[in-house]
Amino acid sequence: MNKDDSKPTLTARRAFLGKLGGAATCAGAAVGAAALGVIPAIAAKPEGAPAGAAASGASFPTKDYDWSKHQWGFGVDATKCIGCLRCVEACKKENSVPQNAHQFRTWVERYVHIEGDPDVHIDSQQDPVNIAASGSEKEFRFANRYKDVKVEKAFFVPKLCNQCSHPACVQVCPTGATFRTEDGVVLIDSTYCIGCRYCVQACPYGARYFDEDRGVADKCNWCYHRITKGLNPACVEVCPVGARVFGDQKDKQSPISLFIRNNRVQVLRPETGNAPNVFYVGIDKEVN
Amino acid sequence: MESIIQFSPYTGWVYPNETVFEWSVLIAVYPYLTGLVAGAFTVSSLYQVFGFERLKPVAHMALLTSLSFMFFVPVPLLMHLGHPERAFNSTITPHLSSAMAMFGFFASFYVALLLLEGWFAYRPFIVQQAQARTGLLGRFYRLLTLGSYDVSEHAMGYDKKWIFALAVIGIPAAHGLHGYVGFMYGSLKSREWWSSDLMPVIFLFSAIISGVSLLSVLYVVSCKLRKIPVDLACLKGLAYTIWSFIMVALVLEALEFANIVYKGREGVDMIMQYVTGPLLWPYFILQFAVGAITPLLWLSYMIWRGTTGRALVVGVTVCACLVLFSVFMMRWNVVIGGQEISKTGKGLLSYKLHLFGKEGGLVAALLTMAPLAVLYILTRLFPPWTDHVTDAPT
Amino acid sequence: MPKHIFRLVSLIVGLMVVAVIAKPFLTVDSFYRFGHYRANAVPEIAAKAPVLQTARYCRDCHTERHALWSAGSHKSVTCEICHGAAQGHTDKNKLPIPKDSLKLCTLCHETMTGRPSTQPQIQLSKHNPGQQCIVCHNPHSPKIVANAIKVTGDAATGKKRAEDCAGCHGAEGNSPNDTWPNLAGQSAAYLARILGAYKSGDQKNEIMSPLANDLSPADVQNLAAYFASVPCKPMPPTVKPVGNSAAGKVLAENCIACHGEGGLGANPAWPKLAAQKPGYLVNVLKAFKAGLRKDPMMAGVARGLSDTNMADLAAYYAAQSCQPAK
Repeated sequence: MNKDDSKPTLTARRAFLGKLGGAATCAGAAVGAAALGVIPAIAAKPEGAPAGAAASGASFPTKDYDWSKHQWGFGVDATKCIGCLRCVEACKKENSVPQNAHQFRTWVERYVHIEGDPDVHIDSQQDPVNIAASGSEKEFRFANRYKDVKVEKAFFVPKLCNQCSHPACVQVCPTGATFRTEDGVVLIDSTYCIGCRYCVQACPYGARYFDEDRGVADKCNWCYHRITKGLNPACVEVCPVGARVFGDQKDKQSPISLFIRNNRVQVLRPETGNAPNVFYVGIDKEVN
Repeated sequence: MESIIQFSPYTGWVYPNETVFEWSVLIAVYPYLTGLVAGAFTVSSLYQVFGFERLKPVAHMALLTSLSFMFFVPVPLLMHLGHPERAFNSTITPHLSSAMAMFGFFASFYVALLLLEGWFAYRPFIVQQAQARTGLLGRFYRLLTLGSYDVSEHAMGYDKKWIFALAVIGIPAAHGLHGYVGFMYGSLKSREWWSSDLMPVIFLFSAIISGVSLLSVLYVVSCKLRKIPVDLACLKGLAYTIWSFIMVALVLEALEFANIVYKGREGVDMIMQYVTGPLLWPYFILQFAVGAITPLLWLSYMIWRGTTGRALVVGVTVCACLVLFSVFMMRWNVVIGGQEISKTGKGLLSYKLHLFGKEGGLVAALLTMAPLAVLYILTRLFPPWTDHVTDAPT
Repeated sequence: MPKHIFRLVSLIVGLMVVAVIAKPFLTVDSFYRFGHYRANAVPEIAAKAPVLQTARYCRDCHTERHALWSAGSHKSVTCEICHGAAQGHTDKNKLPIPKDSLKLCTLCHETMTGRPSTQPQIQLSKHNPGQQCIVCHNPHSPKIVANAIKVTGDAATGKKRAEDCAGCHGAEGNSPNDTWPNLAGQSAAYLARILGAYKSGDQKNEIMSPLANDLSPADVQNLAAYFASVPCKPMPPTVKPVGNSAAGKVLAENCIACHGEGGLGANPAWPKLAAQKPGYLVNVLKAFKAGLRKDPMMAGVARGLSDTNMADLAAYYAAQSCQPAK
């Protein structure tokens, strides 16, 4: 550089412009090449809203089941739940969930208000007292621990993945292994999951767990393999009192549509903005 | 055939799936390592970009330190993954909304930048070694020259511009690298202890002090090993840097905690119970009192009194060690502490650190120490000493 | 531009171009088809075979039991809850029949804090503690219906009609032998029901069926009223039952809920057993066990009784006083 030449000469200007042009071309080539790779990725919306199966002509995902024709929803009537935990066992059998009392796709919580005690007592299947009552980590039962206590109010609340419309877990997955289908279920592709557990951290409801044996994250998927065959999820199938309701929200006469229409329903943690799709009736102020 | 999973004991009410700790001590080690990388690079940039001449003795070592720690950043992550062989899924099909996926790109970009910067800084040395050495080492240096032995003033002029540009880009790159780690925690809605807008900035500033402290310790140790006197002006420059950034880091951390308490959202009772209970020692005493306030006061005293000589060396070294410890505690308190507070806001779990195992304490310690071994090798291949005759003229 | 800069830039650009070109080759099949995920994962997940089969699956082979179940109070309790998942179930691969009904049934039916009151619940310590539930409750139709028939018959008219019965059942309903039962003092509602059952064919007996056919409904009412009013007599000392009365007493604790303490009756719908003929009692229990006499509850009870048990129970009840203690 010519420090003593204060007036840029014509040659210097041309040289500079040449350099600028060269740099711009290089940059442009690099950006263009990168864009070719990145644009399709950005265009793919993170919440799995597809161009539509109709575009390709065939019914997706199976020839007997077209996901664009359904929008699944789930209801829980906590006034009916008797805490028998048949749903927990059925789910474990149906979905090969690890046989222990610490990893669940669905579980039931018990809320008990004792007279004179301002704090609510909450317990679930991982509580050692309940594990002892059932006899092992593979069987499930609530211990009758409050039978000699003056209880003011008590009830059971079944919990499961809320299959949110704006799922935090899908947002944070680094690979795209978890995603939302067009029929409203959040699935996990266990052949693609790398097992980083970011989704487990992100879920505000504690619905996810990490399957150590398979090295991937797992959660309730409303028994997708059953609902695509016209069956109910296993937990809904076995509930003896009808505390769990499932159906197609596109069908106005389905159990879930009637459930939502005929009841004042609420969701868990609405303030997160996740827009959950499990609708509760009969839960209380401290259920979250 | 079930693997034996460790379940955490708990008090109060926690979700059944929470009794397994998903992110172990390794996930506290990894932001610690990226923080050291970012902090070390900051020292290099202070010299290259901001012209802090007094930091010249450590400038190249800062680069080498940054590089050697950067190589180890993916290791705790790979050891933690359920399927490390699929790790590239997040590179080939990165989910752009995921902070973790974007972090992968930031990290890759930053590694490239570090390599480039180091290459440019050492080019004259490489060229000289390529011509002087024989055998495998000679071939290694010759490969690095990219076939060009041009060290004319014209070429060096280009090099100088590149180094400057890289150093300038490197500042937001390094800070983005570590800020993203903070963002990964701060952007989550599920944990009150993590969810904070300040989290990226807090991580960043504590990263800077950890990196600068590391460099201070390494500089003093290297001088002692090489039996040369410590450049007190350089050391004082590092001390000033630590001192000013500690203050910023403390203000941010205090602000974040104050916000949690003041806003008093649902779950704050449990946080207060936790912080005054199980976390009292790790948080208030170790991270703050011992690891941050003490060095701050000590450094303030030394700066005020104009301490110099051996007292300065000892003082700065001890303060740097305390800061290094404090920053690790900060990572621990965020990562492990955040998981010990249940998502329900009504219960607490307790993390058990195992010594052995894929994600145990021994592995964590090894991962923190191993970069030093690599650094040693790098200092042999690319000596960063300013008293060396063949040093780069920058 | 110096050589090394040019080569460096080319290297970088080259690597980036390689990366961009390689991406589609490295991306798995069907990714990006519908969104940021592997589209083929969806049919893969949907293709998994269901483990639980639902009750409709059981109906094809277990038709009669399915019919009983779907008409009863347990119709919302699917087969697989108690018997396990039916996937892979064939004749060779049988599903388990739960052994410990007390443990199984109390999962839903133990009185527990938090259970809505619409759920039938029992206090374990007060409801036949320690006894297996299926002793009284048929798990496929567990509700015990005790509909005592209203008997408004006239005892005096019945007395006249009862003269035809004395040939087997003895004067005033006190049977002269071990095979035919005492009728004296028996519950009127039970007698009306059993006679009605013989008439309708619900209950079949070579002798009783044609006899009952000749009875009019008014006859049934009157006979029931008459025999209920007649005082019963204790077992004659000449009758020496084969079984062990003391052992029978222990077993009889399970019968108290329906047949009353000492067989004196708890509900008019069910027969009193006190001082009844031991031979008759054994025959009836055997008939229940063989399915010749039909009652869903007694069938379950009798299935759990060995021949010795039956003899012991019969001995015990035969020895009981049929007059309630004052």
